[in-house]
Amino acid sequence: MPSPVSRWLPLALVALVALWLRTHDLASRPMHADEANQALKTGELLEHGRYAFDPHDHHGPTLYYATLPIAWLRGETTLAALSETTVRLVPALAGTLGVILLFLLARSLGHWPALTAAALMAVAPASVYYSRYFIQETLLVSCTLATFVCAQRWWQTGLTRWAVAAGICIGLMQATKASAPLFLVAALIAVLLTVRSRPVTRRPRRDLIAALITALAVAALFYSSFGTHFSGLRDAIGTYTAVSTRAATGSGHEKPWWYYLGFFGWHREGGLLWQQLAFSTLAFCGVLVAFATPQKILRCAALYTALIVAALSLAPYKTPWHTVHLVPGFAFLAAAALAALPLRLFAFATAGLVVALQYKQTQLAAFLRPVDARNPYAYVHSSPDVLKIRALAETALARAPTGPIRIISEEYWPIPWYLRALPPTSVGYWSTPSTSSDGALIIASTTQAVTLRPLLLGRYTESYLGLRPGFLLVIFTPKPAAP
Amino acid sequence: MKRSRLSLILALLALTGAVRAADPVPLRVELPKPLFAGTPRPIQLPNLEKPRTGKRPDLMVPAGTALLSKGKPVTSSDSLPVIGELTFITDGDKSGTDGTYVELGPTPQWVQIDLGAAAKIAAVAIWHFHSQARVYHDVVVQVSNDKDFKAGVTTIFNNDEDNSSKLGKGTDLAYIENFEGKLLDGKGATGRYVRLSSNGNTSDELNHYCEVEVYGAPAK
Repeated sequence: MPSPVSRWLPLALVALVALWLRTHDLASRPMHADEANQALKTGELLEHGRYAFDPHDHHGPTLYYATLPIAWLRGETTLAALSETTVRLVPALAGTLGVILLFLLARSLGHWPALTAAALMAVAPASVYYSRYFIQETLLVSCTLATFVCAQRWWQTGLTRWAVAAGICIGLMQATKASAPLFLVAALIAVLLTVRSRPVTRRPRRDLIAALITALAVAALFYSSFGTHFSGLRDAIGTYTAVSTRAATGSGHEKPWWYYLGFFGWHREGGLLWQQLAFSTLAFCGVLVAFATPQKILRCAALYTALIVAALSLAPYKTPWHTVHLVPGFAFLAAAALAALPLRLFAFATAGLVVALQYKQTQLAAFLRPVDARNPYAYVHSSPDVLKIRALAETALARAPTGPIRIISEEYWPIPWYLRALPPTSVGYWSTPSTSSDGALIIASTTQAVTLRPLLLGRYTESYLGLRPGFLLVIFTPKPAAP
Repeated sequence: MKRSRLSLILALLALTGAVRAADPVPLRVELPKPLFAGTPRPIQLPNLEKPRTGKRPDLMVPAGTALLSKGKPVTSSDSLPVIGELTFITDGDKSGTDGTYVELGPTPQWVQIDLGAAAKIAAVAIWHFHSQARVYHDVVVQVSNDKDFKAGVTTIFNNDEDNSSKLGKGTDLAYIENFEGKLLDGKGATGRYVRLSSNGNTSDELNHYCEVEVYGAPAK
């Protein structure tokens, strides 16, 4: 019997590696448009206590509320003080927690296979990249894993408190993103088709009702902005109209059906190699093991993962952050495949090799080329040039304190994040130029710059910055007055 | 008399107040706030400036001007590029597809072409990367007979407006990359070495070269 230290120390090390990969140098990557958008909403909640669920272009409220305690602990109480590190710590901590939750879920495979599953998730490029990204996806994955862990405990112990805990997690899932039911339905189908036994409780109906009521109460609490915005409840249901339209039409994010599976294959782009073949091969072997052995939980995991792959792949709307939902299933199955190997030493060596290969990909994706257009995880990402905009604006306002700074472009995110500390009376955003468009600094898209030039009364020098790959901004800086 | 003096004082006070009320004050116009939007869509068509109508104006060069750089050795501040080879810069392939450009690391980087002998430079054509609308920052092109560029340096192009590359402040304009490349007047500068530097681009922090062509004639 191994000592508790030798038993739990490896898990602590895996969790520490996961935490380091998710929190190291969090502020260095420029903010993506979606991150900036959500960080500004968080700033509004932090500074003014105002939040209202927007059913059209935004997901659920948990991400914003989860940022508050971290911001308070870091002494940030205003939008201007809110930092990239603070907001990104939410998915980073959730992602680390997800690694531990996967270990707990996979313990029925055995201790070291569960550790392997956790290690594979800890270093998976998608999991690391999007744990450093201020969007809902990693939070949703962790809430989903927490739901499964609580449900598993309830199934095995029959204790009502685990049912209630699962209800809380389901409520958090729903309050994180409207796509939560997809994962719950997939899990339910997988359980119904693979698990023949019954939960140990004698009163499953009572426990399920308790879980359902808890889930609804938690979700309602968040969507109603803790009882201050009750129309958020109606919008939480109404959002499914927008979600289903987006999923069905693609809304400009259409990709082929194999898009998500492609992340786990092998491809070169512009000289950079992206591959996860060893990981996905092991996961596929795990599927074979699932149906060659009587392990019900393994079959359940295989079926759940297959359903999620199918559902995400069939929808025309695809964005790369959805790949994080495939990682826990793949890691679980890969660990099961390793556990089935007859030679323990060979299994350990293979696990070490696959973890090392996955880490190399993570290093490339999250640390060496985090905004490169060839990086499949960096989706329409902001260019590093956006980091220069704040200094330009501050210099302009030092020259002309009343401004204004004019942003004239069809698209301008994440610029509002970088100009958040400037007085709102000195910065404005337009989609097209008007007859009086002069300013202390004008930032225009190249398209709008063509219309803008003849309208300007002052004399300006022009230079270029990138908003994101292929989208250029023309910077109009007033020429100093002749002496 | 007293009453009329009082009336006069009151009238003056009223007039002063009126003038004060008419003093100019800064106009506070509420500016539009940013609109929240969904995930930006991948760009299907590059956001290019309106293309120039007609062909590029001819650059007049002395008779007998020839391409001097083809196949000539290239060195760089990044001697081990992650992607591509330095030889790509003078191999004559300017297609810009994968496998035809060299990628240098972030921060200011330079490449240097050794023409083998001093030459009078008539023109330099540069293709950094033209499969996407992007602008390379702080492009500086210099000519010298000193391979270390410490003496006798002639700058023929410099758009580093804030001297961030520490090669001097430039006044030339930034430009959007396209298939035509950037054609520079060599201004008759004489030297054996041509050095080109840049400091990242509007898409990422990296520096790329598909091809550089140096035209001129042997210096007499």
